[in-house]
Amino acid sequence: MLLAVLIANSEGNILVERFNGVPAEERLHWRTFLVKLGADNLKGVKNEELLVANHKSVYIVYTVLGDVSIFVVGKDEYDELALSEAIFVITTALKDVCGKAPTERLFLDKYGKICLCLDEIVWKGLLENTDKDRIKRLVRLKPPTEF
Amino acid sequence: MAQPLVKKDDDRDDEADYSPFLGIEKGAVLQEARVFNDPQLDARRCSQVITKLLYLLNQGETFTKAEATGVFFAVTKLFQSRDIGLRRMVYLMIKEISPSADEVIIVTSSLMKDMNSRTDMYRANAIRVLCRITDGTLLTQIERYLKQAIVDKNPVVASAALVSGIHLLQTNPEIVKRWSNEVQEAVQSKAALVQFHALGLLHQIRQNDRLAVSKLVTSLTKGAVRSPLAQCLLIRYTSQVIRESGVNNQTGDRPFYDYLENCLRHKAEMVIFEAARAITELTNVTTRELTPAITVLQLFLSSSKPVLRFAAVRTLNKVAMTHPMAVTNCNIDMESLISDQNRSIATLAITTLLKTGNESSVDRLMKQITNFMSDIADEFKIVVVEAIRSLCLKFPLKFRSLMNFLSNILREEGGFEYKKAIVDSIVILIRDIPDAKEGGLLHLCEFIEDCEFTYLSTQILHFLGNEGPKTSDPSKYIRYIYNRVILENATVRASAVSTLAKFGAMVDSLKPRIFVLLRRCLFDNDDEVRDRATLYLNTLGDGSVAETDKEVKEFLFGPLDIPLTNMETSLKNYIQDPLEEPFDINSVPKEVKSQPLAEKKATGKKPTGLGAPPAAPTSAADAYEKLLSSIPEFAAFGKLFKSSAPVELTEAETEYAVNVVKHIFDSHVVFQYNCTNTIPEQLLENVTVIVDASEAEEFSEVGTKPLRSLPYDTPAQTFVAFEKPEGVPAAGKFSNVLRFTVKEVDTSTGEPEDDGVEDEYQLEDFEVVAADYILKVGVSNFKNAWESMVPETERVDEYGLGPRESLAEAVNAVINLLGMQPCEGTEVVQSNSRSHTCLLSGVYIGNVKVLVRLSFGIDGAKEVAMKLAVRSEDVIVSDAIHEIVASG
Repeated sequence: MLLAVLIANSEGNILVERFNGVPAEERLHWRTFLVKLGADNLKGVKNEELLVANHKSVYIVYTVLGDVSIFVVGKDEYDELALSEAIFVITTALKDVCGKAPTERLFLDKYGKICLCLDEIVWKGLLENTDKDRIKRLVRLKPPTEF
Repeated sequence: MAQPLVKKDDDRDDEADYSPFLGIEKGAVLQEARVFNDPQLDARRCSQVITKLLYLLNQGETFTKAEATGVFFAVTKLFQSRDIGLRRMVYLMIKEISPSADEVIIVTSSLMKDMNSRTDMYRANAIRVLCRITDGTLLTQIERYLKQAIVDKNPVVASAALVSGIHLLQTNPEIVKRWSNEVQEAVQSKAALVQFHALGLLHQIRQNDRLAVSKLVTSLTKGAVRSPLAQCLLIRYTSQVIRESGVNNQTGDRPFYDYLENCLRHKAEMVIFEAARAITELTNVTTRELTPAITVLQLFLSSSKPVLRFAAVRTLNKVAMTHPMAVTNCNIDMESLISDQNRSIATLAITTLLKTGNESSVDRLMKQITNFMSDIADEFKIVVVEAIRSLCLKFPLKFRSLMNFLSNILREEGGFEYKKAIVDSIVILIRDIPDAKEGGLLHLCEFIEDCEFTYLSTQILHFLGNEGPKTSDPSKYIRYIYNRVILENATVRASAVSTLAKFGAMVDSLKPRIFVLLRRCLFDNDDEVRDRATLYLNTLGDGSVAETDKEVKEFLFGPLDIPLTNMETSLKNYIQDPLEEPFDINSVPKEVKSQPLAEKKATGKKPTGLGAPPAAPTSAADAYEKLLSSIPEFAAFGKLFKSSAPVELTEAETEYAVNVVKHIFDSHVVFQYNCTNTIPEQLLENVTVIVDASEAEEFSEVGTKPLRSLPYDTPAQTFVAFEKPEGVPAAGKFSNVLRFTVKEVDTSTGEPEDDGVEDEYQLEDFEVVAADYILKVGVSNFKNAWESMVPETERVDEYGLGPRESLAEAVNAVINLLGMQPCEGTEVVQSNSRSHTCLLSGVYIGNVKVLVRLSFGIDGAKEVAMKLAVRSEDVIVSDAIHEIVASG
């Protein structure tokens, strides 16, 4: 299960958080933990360089893209490798929507589109679409090109 | 120069002003949502409002029921718009707002219409929304469309239906299981993602049908799997099939191993890792099978991507637990990871190295770790400390450098949990490695000179009081202890006073000086410190409290024979209703009340270093000893020699859960039956176990202690005691029946009925075996210990163990048969070796030390031969060990 996708700005404020199968009372704990993890480790990291951590049996892969940091959390079959696949899809889609690595303003400008992309990529904790061109078409309700 | 700077600032202000969500407020956005009701819909404006709502939801904002209903009804109006972008937003919004069951009906018809739309993408999205909000009744109505969608030509529609199926399987399994033909067809799809989703769903549908899973794996491993993700799933299912089918005994081949090995050469890293992990996790994996997997993992250790390094070292860390020798080739690569920027990777590398390292590499490793420790967080440090503790127990001869390392890190900065882990480790090493005792105690003494944690100080003082007086020069510890009386807070001071008293009681030469120190404590400004000092002075001095030396020691070191909970209850009662006469400790009941489940589990845990505070038991053994000594019927049996691990006498999840702990005394055994009643509607009373010992001739029953009441989910114990010939390792088989009176309980009130019915419940048999009479006690230096035993007590013989699966299996079987402690890591057999020497140590009933040297050899036909050499303090015991092996 892909437990969470969280996107924060450089100050650690949450821009998007989507939890799946995480009880409401644990969400704040996760949010704080991830933001701290980012603050401790993401300084000076290049765009899209993936960092990894584990907390008990849960894996976390995170990275930075422009002004935003992206965290994905998973367990069981969503181990560090599956998560790096998921985060790769997310970063590619973000760059595609924003045209470049986003500034915070650009990210907020494109907020609606980004939500739609995330909805196509992760659905209730399962990875659904992985190809950026397909995602780009799906958010505009266009069928995929290969069809 | 100033101009551009000002301009930049202006820009920044603009940027902030421009943020579409600046000052966003829920109430205002809900007001804005009224535009959804306009007769002339402005699609762009509506999309903006939905974006704002999504922003609020994604920030963790919650809507009240009324607010959510309002938004939901308004959003459903937007189905009137033909704007495609807005429609996509509407789908997302409905999913995010999750309407309640009674509201769903409003959108069902719109969604059903979209589901049959000619526009494929409407179909896909409508399926996803419907599945998110639907319940069982609606699902049967749309099932037909979903089945069609699974085999739809458009991959997005098919995937939407399949992923919906995966989610719906949790809530409506019987419906989704009917789709297996369609899903089967989708597995053959040419679209990569459809195949991936279909494979996942098909496996979930058929996971309990071994044959079907095996067929699925057989057909797919031959054919083309189109995406790396699906390939990973297939590898997982393949390893499940391998686990269930076992090795082909004739050829020695493992089915599907070739497939896994081929996957190691796949172009996607994800697949390579999955295959490597699958291979390393095979049951009884051989070195030949393991080698290719380890080789690819080793390559990834030097990858430039942190995720790959992490994945590789994490897998190797797991392998190191079961096959340390297989990982040694990677040690050099792993040593370079100690300086990895990613601390998770560095910690995994270190703990792996600590498991795979040999005795000669310990010193080098410790040097590297020392540099690393200063820049990792406490949680990682604790993992390292625990790994060092196990390494030290594995190589006791290296205790000096490891103990020095522990004492150095003890002096550095760190939080409570970290310090506690270090102190616990030192205490365990002191207990298990006699040579490490004096040095270890001094390290602890130095630590309490500057320890900010009261809990740790008092624990160490307690431990020091028990162990310090038994050392060669007890006087050297007094300074450290008395310093506490001068410098610390009242709690620590009181502990220090008790510790001083213990030294006084045990070491006669120190007694006068201890008296001087204790007298100084009489002027302390804390009541407890003064009281303790007075009490101990009287106890040790004039004999007014205890008359004989034995009584003094019993008073100071003996366990408090009363369960603390009983003591607490009695004291509370006394305070509530004070009597004229002083509180009498003898009035506290000694019977152990049944403990709640959670507490029970806690006591069953592996004992940690210092264990609980002074008055509480320090380990499971101590707890058992206290428990048994509190029962008058068993008090005369003498000192408890050994308690076995619990043996389960019932299957898991039965009405009554019962396990037995075998307590061995010199001429008695006591069986402690731990019973749990798992039926809320029942109360059991007068619970006993009827034991049939007809297959245990040397045992005769001498008493039982029934359990008065066994309520639901509250474990409690009943006991049966047997007499046996003194000092003899009598063996036998015991059959058991649980007998009790059962009363119905009204679960609403918790009151049992007055009348009960007698009933019986058959339990499994268990045996008392030779290993029950041998304590696992290690020695730090086997060679020295062996040579210090009288050579005349040595008995040597050779045995044929017959054909065995492997050498390791034979070694384990003998270790388990004898129940002795393997020394110096000799229980680990190198996976391809043909011979092995294993060293065991233990204490035989009657407190006779015994050492065993086992030499094994295996031939081509897997026949194992063993030479057994035994030395002990009593030649009869050497013979007895041979008898155990000969009859086992």
